[in-house]
Amino acid sequence: MTSLRGRPGGFTTSTDRSGVIERVRRVWEYRRILALLIGRDLKVRYAGSALGYFWSILDPLLMSAVYWVVFTQIFTRSVGYEPYIVFLLSGQLPWQWFNVGVTSAARALRTDAQMVRSTNVPRELWIVRNVASTGVQYLLSLPVLAAFAIGTQKAPNIDIVFMPLAIVMQTVLLIGIGLCLSPITVLVRDIERLIRIALRIGFYVSPVLYSVNDVQRLRKLHDVFSWNPMAGILTLYHSAFFPQELHWNYVEHSAIGCIVILAMGLFIFARLERPVLKEI
Amino acid sequence: MVLNEPVISLRDVGIQFARNRRRHRSVRELLIHGRTGTRPDEFWPFRHINLDIDEGEQIGVVGRNGAGKSTLLRLIAGVLLPDEGSVTVRAGVAPLIAITGGFEGELSARENIHLVSGLHGMTREQIDESFDEIVDFAELGDFLDTPYKHFSSGMKVRLAFSVVSRLQEPILLVDEVLAVGDKAFRRKCFRRIDELIATGQTLFLVSHSAGNLRRFCKRGIYLEGGEMRADGPIEDVIHQYDVDMGTLDDPDDNVLDTDL
Repeated sequence: MTSLRGRPGGFTTSTDRSGVIERVRRVWEYRRILALLIGRDLKVRYAGSALGYFWSILDPLLMSAVYWVVFTQIFTRSVGYEPYIVFLLSGQLPWQWFNVGVTSAARALRTDAQMVRSTNVPRELWIVRNVASTGVQYLLSLPVLAAFAIGTQKAPNIDIVFMPLAIVMQTVLLIGIGLCLSPITVLVRDIERLIRIALRIGFYVSPVLYSVNDVQRLRKLHDVFSWNPMAGILTLYHSAFFPQELHWNYVEHSAIGCIVILAMGLFIFARLERPVLKEI
Repeated sequence: MVLNEPVISLRDVGIQFARNRRRHRSVRELLIHGRTGTRPDEFWPFRHINLDIDEGEQIGVVGRNGAGKSTLLRLIAGVLLPDEGSVTVRAGVAPLIAITGGFEGELSARENIHLVSGLHGMTREQIDESFDEIVDFAELGDFLDTPYKHFSSGMKVRLAFSVVSRLQEPILLVDEVLAVGDKAFRRKCFRRIDELIATGQTLFLVSHSAGNLRRFCKRGIYLEGGEMRADGPIEDVIHQYDVDMGTLDDPDDNVLDTDL
């Protein structure tokens, strides 16, 4: 029994966990409600204060400025490419999305506990919503990169067509990570501290400040490095301006990683949903 | 939908909770086995509940604190999953099961009306249509743009009831919360529930007020000691509850308090 509403009318819950495909289908059925939630997030962020947009780009901008000073003025830069600020920002902005996306998706079920407790929508929606609205924030920060590219007269090359691929891969990766972490965060609070530490380490082992080409000479370590799913995604982002960054073996490894993590996330989320609902 | 199929069916439903905080240690076990085994520190609010509710029935739920009344409502709302058996609900549910009504504290009343209605699948046009009605009914006055968290408990319930009762879902769940409102508002709510019942609304009412139960419900359910002690005409169920509690003809007991 469905109505004209953007959601189905009934449901069945039992001890059988519905299959992965069934769960994904349910999320799709609720896409209009997902859009509503994302729209609200953006309204809160950008309409709430006059400086809303400014605040959302301040962090990556400031950090890029700091790295630029440290690595071009203090150290002699031996990594990355010229103009370094464009190189930095083209990796820093998606990394910012990754960082905020992981943090907020991992906390999603706790932040929205009131809603989760009283509204019967697929619980995955709360995670997808966080990933998507931080993703839109990333897209809205791209004019900053464009401004620096114009300022330094650095033209993008044809590889910029791979950017949508990078965005899709990063979305899949973030949803996977969010589905893994958010139920665990409800059951084991301390995990949030670990996530923060992991993200900080993740930043330095991912090619944001440096290029994958700078890691090539590390031989053995380089193989391990290529399995970092963010490495392949960042090479795609970098390659929009620096074609020498594009290494398809990185992208392949990354794609495998994204899919494996998403599958893990769907599995873990389905397993932990029941105790999580009792806990929040 | 098959004609005369019950709108809510519970088959051998049971749910289990942990009594203390040790539950945190079992994440690994949950991941490997999908569930934890029964341990001494876990208890079942109820088990083996079987229930069929037809469209347009009004059910009153009685039982002592902790007997599982709210848990039962949350299972029907789909925000808890059973550990045994299955819950099937064949129509949309409008739940008023927590005093906060699932409203977001940081958002204003206006935004909450849009958000909660939207989460229940109402379109922007439908919401705009009933918006003034919701606001009038909740008597919000100048507080329309005040963050929800600053509302008094009474105002919260007024807004929550006002929104939830206008979601146009075939099933309405109401859990005690109405007791918080003042007398005039309660009277309004009751009139509203009467209207809904007249249009064939299925209602689940948890209440400690025998008067309300008699007024709205024909059928009663009595939860006690982890099982369904009684399921029958509301008068019989209230009687059995009073006998069990030793509150029969006890004028001081709020079970016999008759509002209005």
